[in-house]
Order: sequence, then structure tokens, then C-alpha cells
Amino acid sequence: MKARDLMRRDLTSVEPDTLIYEVVYLMEQSGLSTLPVVDEEGRLVGIITEHDLIHAALPEYFDMLHSISFLPNLNQIQRRLKEMAFRPVSEYMKEVISVHLDDEDLHIADLLIRKRLKQIPVVDGEGHLVGVIRRIDILSRLIR
Amino acid sequence: MILTVTLNPTLDKFYWVDHLPLSLERAEEEILIRARKSSASAGGKGINVSIFLACMGVETVAMGFLAGHTGQIILRDLLEKGVTANFVWIEGENRTNVTIIEKGKEYHPVKIHEEGPRIPSHAQEIFLRKYRRTLKRAEYVVLAGAIPPGIPDTVYKELAREAKEAGVRVVVHAGRRPLWEAVKAGPFFVKPDVREELMVGDMPVRTEEEIIAAGRRALDHGCQACLISHHVTGDVLITPEGIWEYEAKVPLTKFKNLVGADDALVGGVLYRLAQGDRLPDAVRFGMAAAVASAEVEPKMCLSPAVIEHEMRAVEVQFKEGL
Repeated sequence: MKARDLMRRDLTSVEPDTLIYEVVYLMEQSGLSTLPVVDEEGRLVGIITEHDLIHAALPEYFDMLHSISFLPNLNQIQRRLKEMAFRPVSEYMKEVISVHLDDEDLHIADLLIRKRLKQIPVVDGEGHLVGVIRRIDILSRLIR
Repeated sequence: MILTVTLNPTLDKFYWVDHLPLSLERAEEEILIRARKSSASAGGKGINVSIFLACMGVETVAMGFLAGHTGQIILRDLLEKGVTANFVWIEGENRTNVTIIEKGKEYHPVKIHEEGPRIPSHAQEIFLRKYRRTLKRAEYVVLAGAIPPGIPDTVYKELAREAKEAGVRVVVHAGRRPLWEAVKAGPFFVKPDVREELMVGDMPVRTEEEIIAAGRRALDHGCQACLISHHVTGDVLITPEGIWEYEAKVPLTKFKNLVGADDALVGGVLYRLAQGDRLPDAVRFGMAAAVASAEVEPKMCLSPAVIEHEMRAVEVQFKEGL
């Protein structure tokens, strides 16, 4: 099965200059934990996830601790998030990982597993966002 | 690609009942009505046009504002039907429109329409950016339906101007002031919604003469075509090339659900225009789509074969050149 048959034709997305508080608002209202980032032409330029935002808000020494249970409270994270609120998404988004409309399901599943992604954007030949494929979209197809 | 704009989407709920007692002047303290059948689907004029087009295999993108749990249901229904969704999410809840259809009175359903959520100004700015971006890939844009609280009645005029500047043909399927304001931007095709009042702008459209006069006024503003319903089974198309009258020879008793028939008409016209038909021929197919939709319980008939068959019932008469 190809990406075009698996994808959700949902173009919910943000732009590189969208502010982080707007990203959080959109994630909350839409229920999406991953958002594609597109330029003025609708071409995919990155993705931003809840995980990216949480990681950016954690103290720099977190990587050594591996758990936030070492923190006395969430004040430090809250302060950092408030600093981030008016920064553009371009400062926090990840590199583009995407698939094309005619890519096969095996390749898509491999990327989702290997890159530990919850969803992956689908682009057309010119790089325009045309849909997204979630892990659950593949799981539900396979179990039928 | 055909872009549709539905600024005030709805979850359309239908209840079919055997009997609908509407008076509370009874001995009982309350009236309990049991529905024989019910259904719910994504709605709003533009959304219905997109659903029709997607089911006919035409690439279509639906835009507007979604909110809350109702918005999630609307989105899911659209995606399942093959429509590409490009909405702005806002706080609150999308509206639910209820239609109650009583057995034997299908022609006169009872409707309850909610107002819809207020659209904040920052959401309108995000919508406009997305709209401009999506216009770049569109051949037609359909501006359709009610305007939600927070958005001015001139919005379709502004959106039509942007589309024309981008070289996109504009179709307006709305009523009252939002329609007439949009007419001033000179759209390609207008289908006035005259369900609530038989007026187009400040002109009455009760008789054929009045319809033609209103259509001519729309052409004076730069419109290329205006299609106005004369009665349930009759429409008049007014263009600079002339006037066509359409009459569907179908008894009203065959109708089961009139909601969505108008949207199937616009969808049918666009489907055939996208295939290269002349406008008068495309309108005939649109009329057939509307009649076929009115004859089934779901909101729209989505079978090309049934619509093609229904075309036999639609008579067309070229009335005069302008």
C-alpha cells in the first residue's frame, strides 16, 4: 500500500514564524501532538512535537539525570516555557522527515519505528504538504 | 483543485419521526418523540460541496474554523469521505443543526440552526494566511454558507477579491447581505440562497421577471453567471450569453430530504465545469444532482449513475439572448 492510500488528508500545520504559545494552543484545540511546519508556498520545512517543546523547556543538565523526579518542582520548567512562549517555532522545530505520495508502507513503517515518530508528513513532488500518516493508521490497516 | 470555504461548519443531525406533535397544549407534562431513524454528518454549504466533489473523484480542499468535540467529529467525517481538510482551530464548539423530518411531510422539515462560535480576530488572520496559500493551487473557490459571529458580512467580498487577483474563479453560494456584497467583487458564478427571504440584494425574486431583473443586476456588477431558484424544481440561469430555464419534471411527493439538495446542485455544476462542460450543460447536471439528492434520505445522492439517470427529468429551455 502506498502513502496516498494510508494518509489522512489533514493539512493542520503552522508556519516557521508561528509563536510557541500559538503552537501549544493549536495542539490543545486540535488534539494533535505533532504539527508540520510549512512555508508560504505550503512546502514542508519541519515538524514540531510536544516532545520537542518539553525537551526544550527542561534544564540543560536533564540529559544527565534522565528523570524530572530530581527537580524540586515544575517552577523551572514553567519559567522556561514562558520565556519560549513568544519565540518562533523555527527555533525549536526538527529537521524534515517525510515520505512521498507513492512511497510504500514498509518504508513508512520503517521510518516511524526507526525514528521513533508518532506521525510522518506526506509531500507531493514539489514538497507541498498533502497529508500525514500516524502510527495508528498503519496499525489499524494491518489488523483488519 | 476546488477549494471550498465554510466559515461556520456544522454537525448536521437528522431525525426521522412518524409523528411530530409541536403543540404543548396537552394534558401531558412533556412530549416524548421517538425517532424512527437518525444520522449525523459534517455540514455547512461549502463542506457539502466538498463532500460531493470528493465522492465524484475531484480533488477538493475544505477550509474554515473548527472547534471542540463537534469539530473533531466534523473533521473525521470529512477525512473519511476523501476531503482534504485545512481548518483553523479555535476555542468553543462548532454548531449543531437539527432537522426533523416527519413521515408524509418530508417537504416541510422542522429545522433548528445554532449560531456557531465567535471567531477571534487572531484566528481570522491565520485563516487569511492559509487561504492565500491554498489559493495558489486552486482553479475554483466556493464561498458558501452562513457567516459566524465575529466576522463582518463583507468577508465574501474580500475573499472573492483575493481569489480573483490570484486568477481563481469564484463561486458564491450564500444569501442576504454576504451574497450581495460578494456580487460587487464580480465573481464567476453566484447561487443565491433564497430560503429565508425571497430577495437578492434589495430586489425581490418572487416572479420570473423579478428573478431575471436581479440576475441582470448581478451581471452589471461583473458576475459571469447567476442561478436563481424559481421554485423547488425550477431554476433560471442568467448569463451575458442569454437566459436558460430549467425544470425538473418530478412530483414533490417523491422528495424525502431537501437539505443538501442545493449544495449537490453547486457541486454538480463544478464537477461538470471541471470536466470541461459549458455552463448551461453543467447546470443541467447540477439540477439532476439536486433532484437525485432530494429523492434520498441521506443529505446528498453521491452516485454518478443515478444522477445521470435523473438528467432525463431535467428539461432545459433557452429563453432569450441578453
